[in-house]
Amino acid sequence: MIAQEAQYRDWMLAALMGDAGAYRMLLSGLTRHLRSYYARRLDASAAEDAVQETLIAIHTRRATYDPALPFTAWVYGIARYKLIDEYRRNKRRATVPLDEAGELFGHDDAEEAIAKRDVGKLLAKLPPAKRELVKEIKLDGVSVADAAARTGLSESAVKVTVHRAIKSLGEEVNPGGRDADR
Amino acid sequence: MRTDDLIGQLSANLEPVKRGAMARLLAGAIVIGVAGSAVVMLGMLGLRHDFSSAMMSFGMWTKLAYTLAIAVFGFLLVERAGRPGAEMSKPALLLALPVLAIILLAILQMSAPGADMPKLVMGRSSRVCATNVLIVALPTLAATFWALRRLAPTRLTLAGALAGLFAGGAGAFVYCFHCTESTAPFIAIWYSLGIALTTALGALLGRRFLRW
Repeated sequence: MIAQEAQYRDWMLAALMGDAGAYRMLLSGLTRHLRSYYARRLDASAAEDAVQETLIAIHTRRATYDPALPFTAWVYGIARYKLIDEYRRNKRRATVPLDEAGELFGHDDAEEAIAKRDVGKLLAKLPPAKRELVKEIKLDGVSVADAAARTGLSESAVKVTVHRAIKSLGEEVNPGGRDADR
Repeated sequence: MRTDDLIGQLSANLEPVKRGAMARLLAGAIVIGVAGSAVVMLGMLGLRHDFSSAMMSFGMWTKLAYTLAIAVFGFLLVERAGRPGAEMSKPALLLALPVLAIILLAILQMSAPGADMPKLVMGRSSRVCATNVLIVALPTLAATFWALRRLAPTRLTLAGALAGLFAGGAGAFVYCFHCTESTAPFIAIWYSLGIALTTALGALLGRRFLRW
């Protein structure tokens, strides 16, 4: 049994009856898991898009949740579907495990919260404009398109800037490391 | 859009979900689909000429029970296919019941003294039976796809196959009112083949038409 099951299920049941507060807590909580789930499987901008698409899918298909069934398995089913959808769109073939709700709920930003402190220190080493972009896209979940609109850069320039900045930070942490760029 | 803003919007527009919303959608699809199948059967093939006397016969009830059982168990699986994370392997085992029952009955009839094998197995309509079942099933298949797309199927080929299984069972049930065959071996082979064809068609179409 996944640790968050009871809490999430309660929120979901309240949300199905129209409780917006519970719903907001639910979606915020799920976002942490989804972000970490997709971040390990997609590149940054696609990951955040997938998070949003999954949230929308959870919203529009919420009537398909059967209270007699585990809520986490339901969410994992949708997250997995959206992941496959994303792979399909990029013509990537992949197999995604079927019954691994733990894949989604085993991780969240909690471990990453600790990491975030260190990330803050690292980010300080970047020039302000780059730092802001990396923070928006990698940490705050702003889409590449929105960041591009804000800065006036093209989307590909934004992606390249973020990519290089991350790479230079990788050098910082792991000098000469060969796996800095995966 | 920022994810936090999206969450804000989604929760601001939250409306309560009525109990049984999904059941009503599926029930609507069944009624429309089966009505469509009945129209196709009556329009293209016609009611069997000896309809009222056939309703008293064992053969007719065998056919109706077999196809109805497949349709009902198929429907239970379709309903699960529309719910992410729902368990499907246990309800799938239920399908073995009607299949085993018709096979048993077929063996009984074939091993009876003086059994006329060609008549039992091939009847008079073996060449058209399976395709007729498939054609009669099409409106139900379309309606089931329509409903499934509004649910959340996450394994599209499987969901399509199950929609086909249900539609095949329902189509075969409707086809019973046209077809004059009444032997268990015929039903076990040719009706089942028609249902299998519909299942295969559903599986083929699922990936393409069940995306959401």
